[in-house]
Amino acid sequence: MRSALPPSNSPIPASIRGDIVTTTSFIRAVIAVLFFAFSGPAFAQGTDPRPLFNQLADANFNEAEKLVGEIATTGDPRVVPALNAFSEGDLYFRKSDKAVFAAKPVGLQLELIDPVTGESAGQVAKGAVTKVKVNNNLRRAIRAALGGLTLMSPDRGARLSAADAILRSPSAETLELVETALAKETDAEVKARMEEARAVSLLSSDRSVEDKRAAIETIANLGGREAMRIFSTISSSIDESLKPDVDKAIAKIQGQLQLWDLAQNVWYGMSLGSVLLLAAIGLAITFGVMGIINMAHGEMVMLGAYSTFMVQEVIRDNAPGLFDWSLAIALPVAFLVTGLVGFVIERGVIRFLYGRPLETLLATWGVSLILQQAIRTIFGPTNQEVGNPSWMSGSFPLGGMTITYNRMWIIVFSLTIFFALLFVMKKTAYGLNMRAVTQNRRMASSMGIRTPWVDALTFALGSGIAGIAGVALSQIDNVSPNLGQSYIIDSFMVVVFGGVGNLWGTLVGALSLGILNKFLEPSVGAVLGKILVLVLIILFIQKRPRGLFALKGRAVEA
Amino acid sequence: MNTIAETRAKSLLYLEDVSVSFDGFKAINSLSLVVEPGELRAIIGPNGAGKTTMMDIITGKTRPDTGKVIFEEMIDLTKKDEADIAQLGIGRKFQKPTVFESHTVWDNLELALNRSRGVFATLFYTLTAEDKARIEEILTTIRLTHRKDEYAANLSHGQKQWLEIGMLLAQEPKLLLVDEPVAGMTDAETAETAVLLREIAKTRSVVVVEHDMGFVRDLGVKVTCLAEGSVLAEGSIDFVSSDPKVIENYLGR
Amino acid sequence: MITGFILRALEGKIVVAVGILLAVAIIVPALNLLTPPDSALHIPTYAMALMGKYLCYALLALALDLVWGYCGILSLGHGAFFALGGYAMGMYLMRQIGSRGVYGNPDLPDFMVFLNWKELPWFWYGFDMFPFAMAMVLIVPGLLAFVFGWFAFRSRVNGVYLSIITQAMTYALMLAFFRNDMGFGGNNGLTDFKDILGFQVQAGGTRAVLFAMSAIMLALCLIVASAITRSKFGKVLVGVRDAESRVRFLGFRVENIKLFTFVVSAMFAGIAGALFVPQVGIINPGEFAPANSIEVVVWTAVGGRGTLIGPIIGAILVNAGKSYFTGAFPEFWLFALGGLFIAVTLFLPKGIVGTIQHGWNARKALKAAADAEKGRDAGALPAAQQAQAAE
Repeated sequence: MRSALPPSNSPIPASIRGDIVTTTSFIRAVIAVLFFAFSGPAFAQGTDPRPLFNQLADANFNEAEKLVGEIATTGDPRVVPALNAFSEGDLYFRKSDKAVFAAKPVGLQLELIDPVTGESAGQVAKGAVTKVKVNNNLRRAIRAALGGLTLMSPDRGARLSAADAILRSPSAETLELVETALAKETDAEVKARMEEARAVSLLSSDRSVEDKRAAIETIANLGGREAMRIFSTISSSIDESLKPDVDKAIAKIQGQLQLWDLAQNVWYGMSLGSVLLLAAIGLAITFGVMGIINMAHGEMVMLGAYSTFMVQEVIRDNAPGLFDWSLAIALPVAFLVTGLVGFVIERGVIRFLYGRPLETLLATWGVSLILQQAIRTIFGPTNQEVGNPSWMSGSFPLGGMTITYNRMWIIVFSLTIFFALLFVMKKTAYGLNMRAVTQNRRMASSMGIRTPWVDALTFALGSGIAGIAGVALSQIDNVSPNLGQSYIIDSFMVVVFGGVGNLWGTLVGALSLGILNKFLEPSVGAVLGKILVLVLIILFIQKRPRGLFALKGRAVEA
Repeated sequence: MNTIAETRAKSLLYLEDVSVSFDGFKAINSLSLVVEPGELRAIIGPNGAGKTTMMDIITGKTRPDTGKVIFEEMIDLTKKDEADIAQLGIGRKFQKPTVFESHTVWDNLELALNRSRGVFATLFYTLTAEDKARIEEILTTIRLTHRKDEYAANLSHGQKQWLEIGMLLAQEPKLLLVDEPVAGMTDAETAETAVLLREIAKTRSVVVVEHDMGFVRDLGVKVTCLAEGSVLAEGSIDFVSSDPKVIENYLGR
Repeated sequence: MITGFILRALEGKIVVAVGILLAVAIIVPALNLLTPPDSALHIPTYAMALMGKYLCYALLALALDLVWGYCGILSLGHGAFFALGGYAMGMYLMRQIGSRGVYGNPDLPDFMVFLNWKELPWFWYGFDMFPFAMAMVLIVPGLLAFVFGWFAFRSRVNGVYLSIITQAMTYALMLAFFRNDMGFGGNNGLTDFKDILGFQVQAGGTRAVLFAMSAIMLALCLIVASAITRSKFGKVLVGVRDAESRVRFLGFRVENIKLFTFVVSAMFAGIAGALFVPQVGIINPGEFAPANSIEVVVWTAVGGRGTLIGPIIGAILVNAGKSYFTGAFPEFWLFALGGLFIAVTLFLPKGIVGTIQHGWNARKALKAAADAEKGRDAGALPAAQQAQAAE
């Protein structure tokens, strides 16, 4: 949906915006103009509206309606308060000279306000003035006039909102105003919006069928749910001969909406995929490259999340101003903490178990239990509060979909880590050493590479990356001692599905599993979708035991 | 010159135009090879010549991309898996001795005996006098009678090689593929293995892959030299080792 | 043939173990039922229930040992077979409640009434009959193992990959059983059982019989497992574990061997689950949790995989430890369990029984080697000398 709020360069302060959300969008547009009228410079355009106001004193309802139209077409935004006053029945003429004023009561007297300049014209007794009568027809005309006036406001944002307001509640009366405004409009975007507003108003007017057909075309091009709504409200009252055009337009928009839904699903899928990627990427090193079945991987993610929590606690107590930087500070902290823990685990346990993958599975499971319980003992079993920095919250629209900032940053973040890791593995001396060790330990060792050191650093690197992932995941998941458990199976699935030992496989695996999951979800529900994905992976591994991007050849099969 | 049909008719194993590649690397490149019944054949070649891959193809571990692999004139081996092929009568000894280390020597041979291999047949199997005699006979052949109750893990490297050959004998194959049987053996063991293989070849065909030229010369049989996945030369050891291509590719270095 | 198969099973240690189990099956219920509560010999009902639980776990560990210890397949999904057996039993017990449920519906279990279901789903048919339910205790886990193993072993998924997909299997089942519309009671599972074969589940006599049955079934399964492992098939099984490709090239169908063992093992686990449920009085999807299955691995590892007695001892020891710790220092249980995982893999890879056995065998081997040295002079050397002479 298009945002109903005026763009941020609107002159309405944020504090007011909050209050007006509940009022109708039309009034909002009016207030925008009001505000401008009081604060903006004097504005002269075309004829002076003052004499027109004065004529109201003698006019009957029909004449008054015409006069209101004329006042509106002066395009002078200063008249807006007076028109409002008229609509409220607060417009009076002085019996002495039939000059028309807006008035508000002060004690027993009335204070007269000039309808154009808004300046006070002194106080008079109630008996000295007569009310200018108003009826519902007249009120409608005033409202339309106000809309038109806003359309001619010098403020671009106000004009846009006015056009939006008409789009949302079109009426035949506003048509002429829109057309007048259109003729004057120079800003391309506003003009386009007004064209749409005109088209919508035109549909409920008594213009010719050809004009209406063109209008339908315009609205159809507008697209989105907005256009769908417009068509559904007018489709009952529309001329029989235009029905096919409307249906065609609806079909077209539905097609577009489906595309947007698809895009939104892909986006959700990528979002889930990036979470999977984050969770799995450290495992792609410890399991994929080193061949260690690291069941404590999830706990590394959990430690990363707790590091974030600790960093935020320290910042809250000592330097609240730095809160928006808390994640940036937490990244190196989490990397070092989990990297260090990983280093200790490798030196203390795993190095005795190389070549016995199933034993590493058991030992690292033991490590994971100890880490979980340690965190539970220190921090308690409940969820810890990890805050979102301001740049992580909120969302923005993109075409027909909504993008939340935290999801967007997580996608960006996961890809950044991925490519950084790829760079380290492929382009640095350390990466070369690491690959040499994992491919042929003895050869690497005899070439002077200190294999134990490389092993320990590699495991620390994998753990550290899991910790960094924890920083990001702390933003979207509950930070509790069980955090890691919920990711461990998914992580293994991703690495195995993508092909062990292949970083690109992990990327493709994570994203495709994420998207698959999100596409299954609408039709079968979240849990069943997840079950289906698991079953599909199990079947897939039967078909290709070494994953999507398997290394082939004799050496691997042996 | 025999026609192809005739060659195939009296062959035990017949490979024609076999190719296989791994990720674009041609491990075997239109290889053709014929082994006759009762033949002892030696295959030599540099590392990466495709010797082990060839054995993988014959025993069903690797499927060739193209080409024919025919056993006993009519059985298409490319359609069978390892267990089928073993039951047809092709035995294979690996480069690295592969025996069941946590079983005794006797149990190793008992498992290898050519008896029904189904789940229930093995569940309810009891050792018959006939089988017992057969195992004892093999134990004598491979010179391990005195260690029959020991765990295979405790055997020396050479003894493990023999035990594996003994297991192949128990399997009663028509064709025996032996991959580097004397690697890591002492000179005495090497010589003894040559005697053993010649003995075995009296009753069946044997294909030996070997690097040790002395050993191949000892065997004194037809030699095939492989390089880059295809046959470089074939004939007596003297003929092959004087072939300039063989010298350049293999011996000369 | 069959008798030979069974007789072979009854080797020394197994006979002793079976004897102990049968004695326990008689003595413990007797001490529970026949001695007065204040007697020193009295075994309270809660203790008997606890021991009955341990025996079920022991059977589960034995099942895992058959595939892991002997065949080298580390299943991280055996908890799923256990739970399925448990659910089959639970479904029978639910049907026995009849109209005594909270809602008093004679045809539908309470949770179905609560979910507004109108009739019994088809997969609940027959579970009111004890023999049918008992058949399902074997068939359902066996069938799952068969289908899963058929695909996995045929496409030669092994080692770590197999472990990971078995874990995914039990995880997927857990998610599925948590769903209310699966028809198995959602996350509450099946509980509030009333009676089994007409006897009250909670009654002392019934509990005693259930305990005795657990010990007897464990003894029976131990005999079957022993018969399997001591047959030629068992030797092939160990061959698959140690040198799979050699077994293949000897002409054995490795996939069938694995499949048979996996299915038998799953059925053992199913039996264990079925005995477990009436003794603890509940079965819920938590039994499918991957962590449970991994815990079974540590019982087996502690006791000694590849020995039949080991997993039984391991399961009982670890669970007794768990009962003690969770009672005395609940904070420390996970530390202890985690430490146990690490310690066993690092310092006791063969487990308790395996290590003892290994020491025993090493002594025997030493003696055999000494004997062999004498024989060697007579057998091996002359041939080598001949060969050298021929050169």
